[in-house]
Amino acid sequence: MLWEAIFPNVLTGDATRAAELPMDSDAFAGFYERSAPSLWAYLARVSGDPALADDLMQESYLRFLCASQPKLFLADGEVAARRYLFRIATNLLRDHWRRPRAASIEDVPEEFFAASASSAQADSRAILSPALALMRPKDRQLLWLAHAEGYSHREIAEITGLATASIRLLLFRARRKIARLLREQNCQVSAQRREP
Amino acid sequence: MIFSACSRENEVAELLARGHWPQACAPELRSHIEACPACSDLILVTRAFQSARAEAVSTAKGGSGGALWWRAQLRRRNAAVERAGRPILGAQVFALAVNLLLVAVFLVYQARHGFNWLSWLEQLPQSQPIHFEVLWPSALFTSGWSFTLLIPVLATLALVGGVAVYLVSENQ
Repeated sequence: MLWEAIFPNVLTGDATRAAELPMDSDAFAGFYERSAPSLWAYLARVSGDPALADDLMQESYLRFLCASQPKLFLADGEVAARRYLFRIATNLLRDHWRRPRAASIEDVPEEFFAASASSAQADSRAILSPALALMRPKDRQLLWLAHAEGYSHREIAEITGLATASIRLLLFRARRKIARLLREQNCQVSAQRREP
Repeated sequence: MIFSACSRENEVAELLARGHWPQACAPELRSHIEACPACSDLILVTRAFQSARAEAVSTAKGGSGGALWWRAQLRRRNAAVERAGRPILGAQVFALAVNLLLVAVFLVYQARHGFNWLSWLEQLPQSQPIHFEVLWPSALFTSGWSFTLLIPVLATLALVGGVAVYLVSENQ
């Protein structure tokens, strides 16, 4: 590039310093190994699309590394870093839902249909997945963060950007609704089993 | 919907988080949970989500953290280069704006004083045969014009052209 020839230091000074990542490769590999399964689980079960979860997980980590704040979060420890990662993923999911587009059956990966799960896992999927599908996306996020990840109301507020006071009420409503749906699903599954 | 949270919800949540439900639950709390709709909802929902999480985590495909780290580094470097190039782009836009302003001023000036230096073009077809002297804009000198105005105009046009070509080539 011409400007590099004219100003040889333009890309070796501040620009290169700014390009330094907040974690070295080994530290990131460890953090990734510990946090990726739970992040993928969150994205896959809340979105209901494993392929989308793969994409969003990669983008979440890229944004996490490229963000200007990770050093602050890393200083607070890995728990804070994970919370920040979930916040990025939550925002990406929200962005995805804001751009509605028609999904074709051909877009769903084949392994999604494969019957590889154990019977207990299949039961859990048979009961929870239809109930989750009937919930609003925001409620799915709140329920997963509270009951699967075990985050407190304050932490959920930090991740979702909602007020702590409203989390309590939203979560209460969402929990009551999904509990009703789960009981209905449970009854249906039990009835199907009893049928010859 | 009436918001009626149970005062023992935190106790139940802690029990679930520690994995003490149902084996290590006190009989008194167990009887409370059976009678309390909020606590029984909490148990039902938390156990369903914990089971779903365990299943999803076990099926999660772990990609390569190293590849992601390199991609992030590349993205961050590109962003830094773009940031460094922003003032240069600003300078280019400023130069283009100044040049366009100069051209506009020149055209306005010419419109006010009449484009009489163009009259040499009209003489061109009438001169038979064509001599190189004819190509020389004699009207330029006869109408009071001089090179002092023509040269800056040509220089401005050249500069504008140069900037335009540079911008187009850089975009490509």
